[in-house]
Amino acid sequence: MQTLLTTVSTLPEIILIEIRFHGRGGQGAVTASRVLAIAAFLEGHHSQSIPMYGTERRGAPVTAFVRIGEKSRMIRSLVHEPDYVVVLDPLLRNTVNITEGLKPGGTIIINSASPPEEIEFTSEYKVATVDATKVALETIGRPITNTAILGAFAKGTGEVKLESLIEAVKTEMSGRMADTNIKAVEKAYNSTIVGKNRVVKELKKVALPPANSRADWRTFRPIVDPAKCTGCQICWTFCPEHSINMMERKSTIDYIYCKGCGVCAEECPTKAITMVMESEKKEG
Amino acid sequence: MSKPTPFQRVEGEEIMALGNSSCQGCGHATLARITFKVLGKNTVYTSVPGCIWIALQGSIPLYWRGTVFEGGGALISGIANGLEAVGKEMIVVGFYGDGGTADIGLQAMSAAAERNENVLWICADNEAYMNTGGQRSGLTPIYASTTTTPVASESRGKKSNKKNVPFIMAAHNIPYVATASIAYPNDLIGKLQYAKELKGFKYIHVQSPCPTGWGFDPARTIKVARLMVESGIWPLYEVTGGNNFKLTYKPRELKPVKEALILQGRFRHLDDSEYEYIQGQAVERWRQLLNVDGKKLPL
Repeated sequence: MQTLLTTVSTLPEIILIEIRFHGRGGQGAVTASRVLAIAAFLEGHHSQSIPMYGTERRGAPVTAFVRIGEKSRMIRSLVHEPDYVVVLDPLLRNTVNITEGLKPGGTIIINSASPPEEIEFTSEYKVATVDATKVALETIGRPITNTAILGAFAKGTGEVKLESLIEAVKTEMSGRMADTNIKAVEKAYNSTIVGKNRVVKELKKVALPPANSRADWRTFRPIVDPAKCTGCQICWTFCPEHSINMMERKSTIDYIYCKGCGVCAEECPTKAITMVMESEKKEG
Repeated sequence: MSKPTPFQRVEGEEIMALGNSSCQGCGHATLARITFKVLGKNTVYTSVPGCIWIALQGSIPLYWRGTVFEGGGALISGIANGLEAVGKEMIVVGFYGDGGTADIGLQAMSAAAERNENVLWICADNEAYMNTGGQRSGLTPIYASTTTTPVASESRGKKSNKKNVPFIMAAHNIPYVATASIAYPNDLIGKLQYAKELKGFKYIHVQSPCPTGWGFDPARTIKVARLMVESGIWPLYEVTGGNNFKLTYKPRELKPVKEALILQGRFRHLDDSEYEYIQGQAVERWRQLLNVDGKKLPL
């Protein structure tokens, strides 16, 4: 074992790039890792994509890995010390330690509406930001940010070409899905901002929610208009999270446990509940 | 507009804890919450691997046991008999998915029903093995696209019809068989309250849509469940006392099945003849059920 490891690590010319994806179930982190691995393969590299499987739930934090380079043939483990970290969800960095194991001077590609200078980490990294949720909603029509963030990856790291990403999207998807996703890749590529993060001594403490909080699963949050609420309790009956309470005959929402599914807004007979996109500033 | 829902009139506390682990908009979470509010705290529950296990685990603070797929019926029988032996009167409820009921769990369930064990069996039917990524099951409807019956040049989704498990169970001559939907909580609560008081094997089959696996926006879970009932694809009925059949929800006119199916990504590929087939099936089934409504089934 020792000799094998030594042999592998003493091959100096052979490149090895390791990438870790952070996302939520339903955003397509696993598909993103596959598309990136295929794009690298189309450019003539060895590549592998490793999904980290758990129970496949929409909204729960998900990790996936990609390895690119000749050396990736020899390794089958998860990625522990990535060169690049790709974050598909703007609010994920409040709850998951995304810089864990990231090599010094590594690059973070993050879905955020803020420019890189406003992103805070404890040491300096190269940071590329893109508002992938907005790009995805404009092109695909749903907040599935996987292909958009790959556009930002191509721009921010230069490890793969935009053309090979587009080719890779075509192998994974077809028809209208492929067209809209290619648009998302291109749009994100053109709107990516590359820079350095702001270095802070200590990360701003986010008030930690209870361990079983589902607040960070949301892309949209329901807002109740008390003037329109008649107190019919239909939202309260159907809420899968039982996070709606009836206070003084008006429904109020417990935002710690609400997953933002939107059943209440859909079922409300008076349309008193509207779904509003989560703002990352308000949360952070 | 401010019609009070009967759910609010159900006495007893909310047992389900905040923060369950199901997907956004999961119908199983609504089902678990309603069921436990009706059954109360004097309850023991069992489960087999599946989405319903995820919905219950950690969020229902009552005694529970889980086992392998094929052992669901044996486990629940054992617990019911054990409680009887020590003289404890408790409700024993089993939550099983469509695989744990109709495919892998069928023989143990049938055996438990044949022995008429004193348990309540709830089939939380999301029409495929959704916990493992959506493989087809015996309860997947015809033409549905799943990961094991994908739509491709030579494949139009699942080839066979959905297994009629409620009628299979009715043929066991057990005290209570019912179908329900999470979009009709009044109806579901009524059935649970009735079943709670009965002795013997009770079977309630609840359709609970899966936004991830059926391919629709999580906000539409209840809407899809309601349209499946209103179009006659999933009729709500009960069989009491062994063979008395009664429809519990009779829409004045069935909606076209297309209205329900067009919302679901797993039926996106359907062409007119396939819609027609499902429509014809729903209408014919509805006609036959109306014929026996309020009568005795020849079982």
